[in-house]
Amino acid sequence: MANPTLELVHGLLYGNGFRIGKLSSTGRVFATILGSHGDTIPFMGPQIHDHAMTVARVPARKYYFDARLLVDVQLAVERWYGFDTYTIIPDAYNFEVEALGAKMIYSDDAMPTVDTNVPLIKDRADLEKIGTLDPSRGRIPMGVELARLVSEKASGPFAMGFFCSPFSLICQAMGYPKAVRALKRDRALAQELFDFAENQAIFPYLKAQSEQPGVKQSAGADAWAAFPNLTPELVQEWVTPSAKRLAERGKQELKMTVMAGLAAADYCEEDPAKFDKEIMFKCWSVARNSFVMDVALSAMGRTQDWDMRWLQEFAVQHSKLGRKLPIYASLNGRFMRDSSPQQIVEKIKEWIDIMGRDGRLLFFIANVPADTPPLNVHTAVQSVHTLGRYPIAKDLASIRSEPPGFQPFDQWLKDQPEADTIFKAREWQPEKKVFA
Amino acid sequence: MSEAIFDAISKAVTEGEEVEADRLVEQALEAGLAPLDILQKGVVHGITRAGELWKANEYFLPDVILAADAFKTAMQPLEPRLKEGTDGRRGGKYVIGVVEGDMHDLGKSLVGAMLTSAGFEVIDLGIDVPASRFIDAVKEHQPVIVGMGAYMTTTMLQMKTIISELEKQGLRRGLKIMVGGVPTSQEFADEVGADAWGKDALDSMQKALKLIGA
Repeated sequence: MANPTLELVHGLLYGNGFRIGKLSSTGRVFATILGSHGDTIPFMGPQIHDHAMTVARVPARKYYFDARLLVDVQLAVERWYGFDTYTIIPDAYNFEVEALGAKMIYSDDAMPTVDTNVPLIKDRADLEKIGTLDPSRGRIPMGVELARLVSEKASGPFAMGFFCSPFSLICQAMGYPKAVRALKRDRALAQELFDFAENQAIFPYLKAQSEQPGVKQSAGADAWAAFPNLTPELVQEWVTPSAKRLAERGKQELKMTVMAGLAAADYCEEDPAKFDKEIMFKCWSVARNSFVMDVALSAMGRTQDWDMRWLQEFAVQHSKLGRKLPIYASLNGRFMRDSSPQQIVEKIKEWIDIMGRDGRLLFFIANVPADTPPLNVHTAVQSVHTLGRYPIAKDLASIRSEPPGFQPFDQWLKDQPEADTIFKAREWQPEKKVFA
Repeated sequence: MSEAIFDAISKAVTEGEEVEADRLVEQALEAGLAPLDILQKGVVHGITRAGELWKANEYFLPDVILAADAFKTAMQPLEPRLKEGTDGRRGGKYVIGVVEGDMHDLGKSLVGAMLTSAGFEVIDLGIDVPASRFIDAVKEHQPVIVGMGAYMTTTMLQMKTIISELEKQGLRRGLKIMVGGVPTSQEFADEVGADAWGKDALDSMQKALKLIGA
């Protein structure tokens, strides 16, 4: 296994001009974040759980309940695509509420979802009744095992457990409209809800994760706190302080790095006619405090219609030590699914031209939809790695792109360490209940 | 007096002050003002203003949700009076809802209010409604029209699925279907096999009446 410390040092040196040796994928990311750039633009591993399950053709009723299978599938699929980092997470928003007793809908071909028609929290009195999360219930043991396996198998700075951030957890438990009403109209209730989410739901889960060998950090996504669900002001008022409280408690009591509020304030306005530079800048400013790294962040938004010169301007405006902020440039999941490979290549050229020439650019996809053609993902990763090779070609538009070369997944998988787990899982059948 | 109270109702709805909106509507009814005027000049005016502010990026989703709450509260004392005024001459049951994955309440609530004022018995399934609930509601209530709303290009695609399912289950006979919401269009309505497209709340009401031959 690679040594993350050496990769960090190599990346740091490479990014700062000592360009010797061949960078590893992790080194490439460090060179981009800690220096100006690596050998080429890195492509960060996306949230990919449903898509990876589809590519690997494993049954949902096993995949979403078996930590080893889920980890192996995502490791294999992300490596097959050639991403530079791993992101290994299941349906991260459901675990705590499921263990607390929320009604769930389970399916043969998709992730479990909360039944929004039967909310876990209907009113204040329910908070008392629900009590504290028992880490032996629901799929919490799976989540804990998953954190351990990711730390063991993925290793390095991007290996971490997961949890659902407080505001998203509140939305999962009572529905978004009620959660927002509490924030805007009933501060006492809102405070009680955050207190419940942080201390009774999330913390016991984090504690269980921290007791596993090698688990040093855990990250909590917060898509419900994206804009326009919440304004940047509401994120600052509620989500950021909550994330700080969790981080502090994690550090003090668990000796663990806890990162809550990821993707809070992510600019997700859907209507291009309403894109507003001032609001985008506000969102990006707040999102800087909510992400794992200090970056100019795009994630789940309709980025295919953004003017990326604005994101570049923001990154330059917030330069540190003469270098712009690193930019997380996220190709929208639906764009990835619905576009032709050629459209994807053209978008990548456009973005590299605007944001990549001066380095500090990382590509990403926030969430790859299940039915995205694998050809599109391969095209994106290979295009970023070839068109993004430094020094960037003067006239990207004139470069003709070739279709990506890749082995079919099953053929490639045969020689991989995850082969057995995945092939066996395809034969899995649910246990038949026998009634006497 | 009447213009002042209509303005006050409108302001309370726009600003999401549900208690105030309810109090003012009661006051207007006690003062003998026509329910339809209270609806159109006060309540609908207020929610329409909230929609304009949303469009102009001056209101955000949380503000819109509160305005929709105030709108619904203000409608409670109004609805029975509006139904009385229609003399049972037209209408029928109208099932309305926003498709799954979509939380946008405002447009749907506005259409529901206009339909109520036109004499329909509105069965509001709410927001984030799965396809199965639309189907179940059609079986249970046997409405004359089903209306589906969506705000996003992704969620609007579910309308096609719901219409296909209604056809598959033999529930389409005698049933009219309307679609609406920001990303929809007449072309989209034609493509998914809807009977009508509601451009806005007023247009939806007029087309609903046309569909039942009123």
